[in-house]
Amino acid sequence: MLKPSDISKPSKRLGHLEPGQLFPLPPPYEDFNQVTISDWPAGKAAHIETSLDDTVAIGIPKPLNKEEEEKYLHAFLSGLQKLFEKKNNWAFLQPLLLSLEHCAKCQTCSEACPVYEMSGRQEIYRPTFRSDVVRRIYQKYVKPFGKISAKLTGDIDLKWPTIARLAELAYRCTLCRRCASVCPVGVDNALITHEVRKLFSQEMGIAPKEIHDKGSVQQLRVGSTTGMNPNAAKDSIEFIQEEMEEITGYKMEIPWDKQGAEVLLLHNAGEVLSWPENVGAFAIIFQAAGISWTLSSEEMGYDVVNYGLWYDDVQMARVAVKHAQIAKRLKVKKIIIGECGHAHKALTVIADRVLAGDLNIPRESAFVLLDEIVRSGKLKLDPSKNDFPITLHDPCNIVRAMGIVEPQRRILRKIAPKFREMSPHGVENYCCGGGSGFAIMSSFNFAEWRTLISSRKKFLQILDAFKDEPLEVPKYVCAPCSNCKGSIRDILEYYQAKKRSHIYYGGLVELIVNAMADMKKPMIKFDEG
Amino acid sequence: MEELNWWEKERKRSLVNEMKYMIPEILLLRGLREENPRLWNVSFPFHFGLYLMLGTFVLLFIGAGSMILGVPVAPGKSLIPSFLYYLTILVGFIGLTLGTVGSAALLHRRFRDPELKNYSGFADYLNLFLFLIFFAISLLAWLFHDHAFDGARAYVYSLLTFGGSPEGRAIERSFLGLLTIGLASLLVAYIPLTHMSHMFMKYFIYHSVRWEDDPNLKGSKIEAAILRNLRFKPTWSASHIGADGQKTWAEIATSGPPVKK
Repeated sequence: MLKPSDISKPSKRLGHLEPGQLFPLPPPYEDFNQVTISDWPAGKAAHIETSLDDTVAIGIPKPLNKEEEEKYLHAFLSGLQKLFEKKNNWAFLQPLLLSLEHCAKCQTCSEACPVYEMSGRQEIYRPTFRSDVVRRIYQKYVKPFGKISAKLTGDIDLKWPTIARLAELAYRCTLCRRCASVCPVGVDNALITHEVRKLFSQEMGIAPKEIHDKGSVQQLRVGSTTGMNPNAAKDSIEFIQEEMEEITGYKMEIPWDKQGAEVLLLHNAGEVLSWPENVGAFAIIFQAAGISWTLSSEEMGYDVVNYGLWYDDVQMARVAVKHAQIAKRLKVKKIIIGECGHAHKALTVIADRVLAGDLNIPRESAFVLLDEIVRSGKLKLDPSKNDFPITLHDPCNIVRAMGIVEPQRRILRKIAPKFREMSPHGVENYCCGGGSGFAIMSSFNFAEWRTLISSRKKFLQILDAFKDEPLEVPKYVCAPCSNCKGSIRDILEYYQAKKRSHIYYGGLVELIVNAMADMKKPMIKFDEG
Repeated sequence: MEELNWWEKERKRSLVNEMKYMIPEILLLRGLREENPRLWNVSFPFHFGLYLMLGTFVLLFIGAGSMILGVPVAPGKSLIPSFLYYLTILVGFIGLTLGTVGSAALLHRRFRDPELKNYSGFADYLNLFLFLIFFAISLLAWLFHDHAFDGARAYVYSLLTFGGSPEGRAIERSFLGLLTIGLASLLVAYIPLTHMSHMFMKYFIYHSVRWEDDPNLKGSKIEAAILRNLRFKPTWSASHIGADGQKTWAEIATSGPPVKK
């Protein structure tokens, strides 16, 4: 059994999954039980660091010589010091210190971690493995007399493999914070992981390219992580508008840049490209309910994502400030965040410690407004149109981080006669496996790692929610979050769940529109997937 | 945040509800019982034994104070001193027993269970060992010399009176009694330096990590603190940050990443 200090030991791979080690799947999916992560072609990863496990999230180039290795180590220690300085880390310093100082090492968190459990209890994925590596480095290199006290508290060698593996290991946790919610002391292992990601990004410029170069940097440069510029966004939504007119049978108005509207609706731009019906469904509901709302065609005003949340406070703050500035210019009363979990947390909870003065514009979850609309009776609803088995996936950032649990359920109870909960759900939910950027990360074989390990628990939960339904009956997983939808799409495809169990997925607003009595065409069509 | 326009609503706080959650959490380790019952079986006796020992010290102080005021704590006297006398014995005995059993079981588990062993340093064992020695020696001192905690109370009396002794009782301490006093003093001085303080710190960690959700409302203290913090000048080195030690957080957050040349 590996120990935290083993992270420094030279070996080809610290952790490796053999076929049959993963948590077993039930029928009719047993044929996947011997599947394990496939190796990448020889030579493809020759120049990058791969010594943690069977996959790669970042792909840090191997140092070419001893001097370069020393440079990395020096930068790491410099960044480590900065994590514990108020001027550099005022937002997270206190919870970080409390989490590092008071862990009782009882391992209660391990049982709550889906990555650890589903991997067949691989030691490197245990929440405390990562945290204890950080704790030991902190005690040895940051605290006074650390090199002496490390002999008592737990020693660790700081070498190239230590930091290279730690950087990768920070991307084997979805930051779902389920571990933090069960810790008897209140320690937050996900926060420690988040801080490690920050250290690598903010000090050393090391982060997965999908969330940094192609993510927050691209968003700040062209307006969206999808690469869509304002013209492309408007064109796409005009196309969606035409599609929605076919469904509703009447003229749709999608307001752009309407000064003084009550509500600025911010979508994840991934919806526009991958799930346009979600964007259209919001427009139908808001129009039918008579909401005074607008979209923004300004750069970043049509993409609420904020990848900085997962790895970089500065990028997070920059994106949040841009969103607030757009709302300020439009003079809206509040920002409504569409079906995007991490954007909920970024713009409400975390940006709450950044936005001040006239940028502190109220922000609200779409679930709350949708709940109000459904309860108000402004929409004529016919629940029998949703007469198929439905279960609800809870996005971690919305339930566990923000405590928004009931509004989405009240809606489903009203419009979905065959709604049933997953077990567990609400604040005790399991992550979709795509949290903290995993849904969009696919370098090397990382998508396979995600589908096989971090999303596995969610797949089991989905199967369990529908276990009493015949396989041939179409079923719907309501996943009101873009990243979650992406992960669930991938697991349903990978395990052929549509073919084998007739399981489909989509958002919440699609179900609301599908239940609207006066629609000419259904919003949800199972035969089209 | 589940309510429409939540920022306009009054925030409801309840000290009673907080206490209803925290008291069972701290005293009975409710979270551990629910999430990790196997460990709770050994952790609860240890922690509860420790709390009872703290209670015993409080009772000894009250008893010593009572003696200073001329009311001896002894059986057969008036109701309250008699009650204090028996209560101290009961709480002390149960505390010492639970503490001894719990610390021995925890130490054994930490030695034997690889899940715990691989994450434990020398200090983790030392902490538990010190507790075990303290509880065991104290229990032996109680068993052989001080069934009624009269000696312990006399020691507290001497502390409060700067060396005095209760009327009719000469200061005469057994070896085990002296060892108990030494170990208790050592623990009081040493434990705050270790993570064993988590049992009290959890109150603060819950408030600062798990539950901290006070909104930043306009004109609030939080907003003032944020505005102050935004004036800090970070020194992060990655090129996309654009920090030079002169720019403030506010300046950096309102500018894009520097364009690569």
